[in-house]
Amino acid sequence: MPHQDETEERLRPLMIRSLEGDSGAHRQLLGMLGRYLRGYFARRIGTAAAEVEDLVQETLLAVHLKRDSYDRSLPFTPWAYALARYKLIDHFRRRNRSLQVPLEDAGALFAAEDAEERALRTDLERLLQRLPDRQRSLIEDVKLQGLSVEEAAHKRGVTAVSARVMLHRSLKWLSQALRDENV
Amino acid sequence: MRTSDLIDILARDVRPTPPGAANRKLLAALAAGGLITFAIVGLVLRCQPLLAAAQQPWFWMKAAYTGLLTIAGAVIVRRLSVPGSRVGAAPLAATLVILAMLGLGVDQILSAAQAGRVALWLGHTWKICSPLILLLAMPIYACLIAAIRGLAPTRPALTGAAAGFAAGALAATLYGLHCPEQAAPFVATWYTLGIGAATALGAIAGRRLLRW
Repeated sequence: MPHQDETEERLRPLMIRSLEGDSGAHRQLLGMLGRYLRGYFARRIGTAAAEVEDLVQETLLAVHLKRDSYDRSLPFTPWAYALARYKLIDHFRRRNRSLQVPLEDAGALFAAEDAEERALRTDLERLLQRLPDRQRSLIEDVKLQGLSVEEAAHKRGVTAVSARVMLHRSLKWLSQALRDENV
Repeated sequence: MRTSDLIDILARDVRPTPPGAANRKLLAALAAGGLITFAIVGLVLRCQPLLAAAQQPWFWMKAAYTGLLTIAGAVIVRRLSVPGSRVGAAPLAATLVILAMLGLGVDQILSAAQAGRVALWLGHTWKICSPLILLLAMPIYACLIAAIRGLAPTRPALTGAAAGFAAGALAATLYGLHCPEQAAPFVATWYTLGIGAATALGAIAGRRLLRW
């Protein structure tokens, strides 16, 4: 499938650079993946569903937090597809719908991009409010004011290292909470 | 929150990951869990006289059996935790090893005198062997599960079963340092049952523990 090979050739180098610590490549990768994920989930659960955006965000968090499970000697698109499919199955399972999600070629995920965000008030927004104050304000500094983690740490009077640990923990907590929300 | 905002945040949480992180996590978990179980075997159960035992073929027969199963189990766990990789021939290899052990057991039973057959099968410790292996597997299983949770198993029950199998096989290997039983029928039955129990419980627990 030539289209998919092309996707693989664009995404895999980004993933490898992201694993090497290149945050620009990481951002670019997640941005592209987000558009593919939106198209994929919209085709599976309905274009209007507000849950599409929740699923996109949940999967992007998983891609981010589970990067260790990507083996650099393997192609990237099947790995990303496996994560997306898992999240879709989990989504149906949590709603007690025993829908079968066929095991397709990774091309199913990369068939079409969809850049139009579905919802602003996502589950993630609500869960953010449940984080302890210190963690939430760190995320807000980084998100709203566009500060780097170092700048945000300086502003709150903590070390950059502890701010980084705190950010990572918050993301882990959010990812977990997002899953447990609708159990 | 907008998805683009989320991506901005995630881009600030990027740290370099050296290649082979998954392998290292799983091996470290096996080592940590194995160390706990080894300590329990050494301090609570006590090892048998190892210098004498190591000169006997039966000691190595047991070690080879459970050691090979440990390797197969670890390979299966690794592949199930890394999306996009095929499980491959490891389950088949494990099945063949178990069948070979069963064959060896049956052969020994058949070539023994009728009167001695039950003793060959039950040994002196058949009642405690499987339960002990199951107990000894628990620390290893716990460590493995903690490591797998950081990876991306897309089939929780199956991955839990593989983790239980690997933990059971490693526990059985370490238990062999204590267990003085020598007969192949004994090992083929009670060791295998202990590993099987760990596999079954591992699947049940994995269903819950390995969701993400």
